[in-house]
Amino acid sequence: MLNFVARRIAFAVLLVVVVSSASLRLARLAPGDVTAQLGPFASATEIAGTRARFDLDRSPLGQWGVWLSRAVRFEFGDSFLYNRPVRGLVVSAAGNTAVLAVAALVAATVVGIPLGVISGSRRGLLAGAIRGVSLVFLSIPPLLTSLFLVFLAAVTRWFPAGGMTSVNASSLDWPAWLLDVATHLPLPALALALPIAATFERLQAQSMSETLRQPFALAAVARGLSPRDVILRHAWRVSVRPICGIYGLAIGALLSGSFVVEFVTAWPGLGRLMYEALRARDVYLVAGCAAMGGLFLAAGSVIGDLLLAAADPRVRKAA
Amino acid sequence: MIRDRPGVLPSGSGPRRGGQIVASIRGEPRSFNRLVARDLATETLTMLTQGRLVRINRATFELEPWLAETWESSADGRVHTLHLRPGVTWSDGAPFTADDVLFTLQAAYDPKVESVLAETLLAGGQRIRASAPDPQTVVLTFAAPSGPGLRLLDGLPILPKHKLGAALANGTFGMAWTSATPPAEMVGTGPFVVREYQPGQRVLLERNPRYWREGADGDPLPYLDRIVLEIVPEQNAELLRLQSGMTDLSNSELRPEDYVPVRRAEEQGTLRLIELGVGPDADGFWFCLKPEIKGKDPRFAFVSRPEFRQAISHAVDREMFAETVFLGAAVPVWGPITPGNDQWFWPDVPRYFHDDAKAAALLAGIGLEDRNKNGVVEDANGTEARFTVITQQGVGWYERGTMVLREELARVGIALDIAPLEFGAMIQRMLACDYDAIYFRPVATDLDPAGNMDFWLSSGSAHLWNMSQKVPGSDWERRIDTLMLEQSASIDAERRRQQFTLVQQIFAENLPVLYFAAPRMYFAHSARLQGVVPSVQRPPVLWNADSLSVSQ
Amino acid sequence: MKKAGFGLLIFVTLAALGAPWLAPNAPDRSFPDRLYAPPGGYAYEQRLVNRLERQFEDDVSQPVSLQWFTDGRLVTVPEADGGPLLLLGADAFGRDTFSRLLYGARASLALALVATVIALLLGALIGGAAGFAGGLVDEVLSRFTDFVLVLPAIYVALALRAVMPLVLPPATVFALLTLIFALVGWPIVARGMRAIIASEREREYVAAGLALGATRWRLLSRHLLPAATGYLAVQATLLLPAFILAEATLSYVGLGFPDSVPTWGTMLQDAANMSLVAEAPWMLAPAAAIFLVVLGVNLVVQRDPDVHTSLF
Repeated sequence: MLNFVARRIAFAVLLVVVVSSASLRLARLAPGDVTAQLGPFASATEIAGTRARFDLDRSPLGQWGVWLSRAVRFEFGDSFLYNRPVRGLVVSAAGNTAVLAVAALVAATVVGIPLGVISGSRRGLLAGAIRGVSLVFLSIPPLLTSLFLVFLAAVTRWFPAGGMTSVNASSLDWPAWLLDVATHLPLPALALALPIAATFERLQAQSMSETLRQPFALAAVARGLSPRDVILRHAWRVSVRPICGIYGLAIGALLSGSFVVEFVTAWPGLGRLMYEALRARDVYLVAGCAAMGGLFLAAGSVIGDLLLAAADPRVRKAA
Repeated sequence: MIRDRPGVLPSGSGPRRGGQIVASIRGEPRSFNRLVARDLATETLTMLTQGRLVRINRATFELEPWLAETWESSADGRVHTLHLRPGVTWSDGAPFTADDVLFTLQAAYDPKVESVLAETLLAGGQRIRASAPDPQTVVLTFAAPSGPGLRLLDGLPILPKHKLGAALANGTFGMAWTSATPPAEMVGTGPFVVREYQPGQRVLLERNPRYWREGADGDPLPYLDRIVLEIVPEQNAELLRLQSGMTDLSNSELRPEDYVPVRRAEEQGTLRLIELGVGPDADGFWFCLKPEIKGKDPRFAFVSRPEFRQAISHAVDREMFAETVFLGAAVPVWGPITPGNDQWFWPDVPRYFHDDAKAAALLAGIGLEDRNKNGVVEDANGTEARFTVITQQGVGWYERGTMVLREELARVGIALDIAPLEFGAMIQRMLACDYDAIYFRPVATDLDPAGNMDFWLSSGSAHLWNMSQKVPGSDWERRIDTLMLEQSASIDAERRRQQFTLVQQIFAENLPVLYFAAPRMYFAHSARLQGVVPSVQRPPVLWNADSLSVSQ
Repeated sequence: MKKAGFGLLIFVTLAALGAPWLAPNAPDRSFPDRLYAPPGGYAYEQRLVNRLERQFEDDVSQPVSLQWFTDGRLVTVPEADGGPLLLLGADAFGRDTFSRLLYGARASLALALVATVIALLLGALIGGAAGFAGGLVDEVLSRFTDFVLVLPAIYVALALRAVMPLVLPPATVFALLTLIFALVGWPIVARGMRAIIASEREREYVAAGLALGATRWRLLSRHLLPAATGYLAVQATLLLPAFILAEATLSYVGLGFPDSVPTWGTMLQDAANMSLVAEAPWMLAPAAAIFLVVLGVNLVVQRDPDVHTSLF
């Protein structure tokens, strides 16, 4: 176990370094650089000054060296867009995204998995309806889902139409602040959770119906166990395995932030920061966001593997 | 619909005191220091929190006294003596003096600061020299007479020396006043002060109790207690919030396609729709005409001929263009100066009426005919008039504009391929002259042509079709250079106008950039917002924030 | 149910193949007087009342007669006779939404289908190998999968776009997009695949099979892969719509089809203006079309649960 953890931590570090270095390189390969943000007709001195500030006057390898030598001291350079160090920006955005991601993951799991168990273990109208609704959410782009929810919020005023806190948030004590964030959470969390819940439902349904065909399930029914017990006690545990693999992925993806949802619902998270950085070619901010995303994905991957091991004792023994 | 004329205050009872408004901005301010950032959010915040020596009224375009109460200018227009408004203090109570003015100019010119304003503060290509004979007087000396004169100073916020002096001295001025700075440090002479910045979400501004300005009724301004600038990055979401009353105004104009929903909301009494008038900028279409780069291209032989561009101008039905591209919310134009720029617009600029036969004749005149009957004209060597036009991806009217152009030009045998590019990629190609043609709207920095020398001069960095030439590449560019240098250094308004008319004439004959339509601009705000004096320049409403109030 | 699924897919395929004949108008033809026009033109001639307010009315004095089997089209109304016929209205460029929907099926479906198949094959292969081999191979392949997953795909696309010529022929765009989608899609498939094969491998019959001298290949093809087919089928229904929609994102970074080739993804982007959609719900037609396709695929691949074990 200790060996497993050590190995995965080492890999996570490697992943973060490789991914952020790769994004740094890709940022140089993409057309245009951060100076385009100065406007089309900035003066030559201004452009040269900005280039120097972000080490764009060096070769890509030289820039990488400078960046790496700072990164080992946990300094990741400055952001052009925000005119301040990348580290603080990325950390606070990642915190905001984490709140959203956990909410969305819980919602998607609580909704998607049980519905998948139902639609995977019975026929009829209900199962058909669940399947249909899932397919609808898979067919609509996230942009439209998010905008529709904002539209709904604006018309009904059931919850705030975006943002993470109210105007007076900073004057609140922390329980009130939490409550305030919680009222802002449903909109973006729902926008994120709906397609993921649909994905979980589909995977769970398929896996469940597959499992129930296996001899052990049929045998259990033949032994006289109630189908309900068979499904909940035995079959589910077996059927959830492929979802564990995807679950780690979902955790990683959610934690790296969805730029569409965060952009539309004005949630100050990592996805939006990354998107803005990409668009502005804000090199160090891109690298910082990519590093954070890599870290989260590595974490998600570990969690997925642990879940799989928990669901399947044989895999646990093998690992 | 209310068609407020700029500069006329809506009638009604006196403005109510107190209350707050919520305005949405699309992007986050890059800095709170205008000297180092030029994005719209930074500029808007600066207008709300800082003062200038003089102000150009965004509705009347007249120069108004601001922190400088009065001034005298020497006969040759080179020496300006400004008398500062007595009794003005910074929002922390420190007195505002001539020292602050000298400090701000010094910072703007400091090479270490690399200020984005440095180039806008040149008179006759030279820095303005400043001195302060006493704490209430500033003497500005221009190296040469300047046409815009003191209008140059409209863009320069005066910053507090007692707060920023140390940063300038130790070289950290560029990073001072960012989102991480405690708001109390960021003092100003504007109507509002920053109370709190919640990154990614909003900026809270509170009324500056020490603001110097008074309303018409003698009441201290501003009327509002608070302004909340909500950061709403997505444009559709921004509109939804406005419609639902969650925000009072947006900091940008409406898209033509948003007209209908806003109109509906106006009928229900929740929003007010304002026609700002014709915008001061028009979409341009131009070819890269840099001989060093394009000279070897066989098409350069005809692209560089004015007749070729004149043919294009004749081939485009501008009425139809305005109707289709801007859903009818536009007027046809024939040059870079639109009717939205009252002061400099020349209504008699040479026009090219829609006439395909004339266009074909012009093309034939320079040897372009459809010899192989494939629908595209060729020159004698068989080089086809086929071009790739690049434009910015994701902007409705750019994409519509290029498509309409493609159809219009196809009729006279000029073929266009459209390549919509993401913004950064497009700008890179534009600056490197790595394109055939571009369709794009570069926003002029100033309504006064002398403020846009980088566009007009052949050596300018915004001389779109052939940037930064060492010597003028053509005779007509040389003539424009001469005229523009003369007119920008002249203080005789009438003479400046005549010279600029001549410039527009030369431009229209050679058509280095083709213009087809200038959009009418619309703006919407909540019905409870009072005192709105809209402007075609950005920010359309918040420039006048100290006189805004709310009815409820 | 399977039959219904096949029927649906055949219907959509026929619509895509028959687009030139079924579409009343050319997909890239824009009618300047029909920007954002509502469905119409089948009974009376549509007339533009106010462009900015998008007001159109039926000109009852000008009834139109539908022209069947003319001009190589099923039904159409030429402009000269009071056309165009706009069954689903027109988009922001005055182009016929219905015709674009039909033509859009071609690029969108072909692209998504090819990319899905490649992603499934790659994912099954790599994930399966990792799960079956275990040990170091598993470790290397799984971590490689993780690495591909975190790469900012948009940046890869941007960098790729930069080295390409400005105007790309549709075939090149097709190949590029397929490549990118397959690249982005396979790690997702591989993750679940590995989990399934890894747990199947540990089952008694595999050990028994190996003890009895069965070859690894035989085990893999006879026992392990069949266990994963259901999973792969569901992944197909997840990836297909995702790829159709993702085409719009790549189009934003300049890796899209030229405007003469409509796609469902880009058509849906116009629907982002909610207040507009509220008045013009037909803008959501591409989403409905995607739904039909996904439903069809789902009905075909999904096995219905056994009735012996039901939760209720």
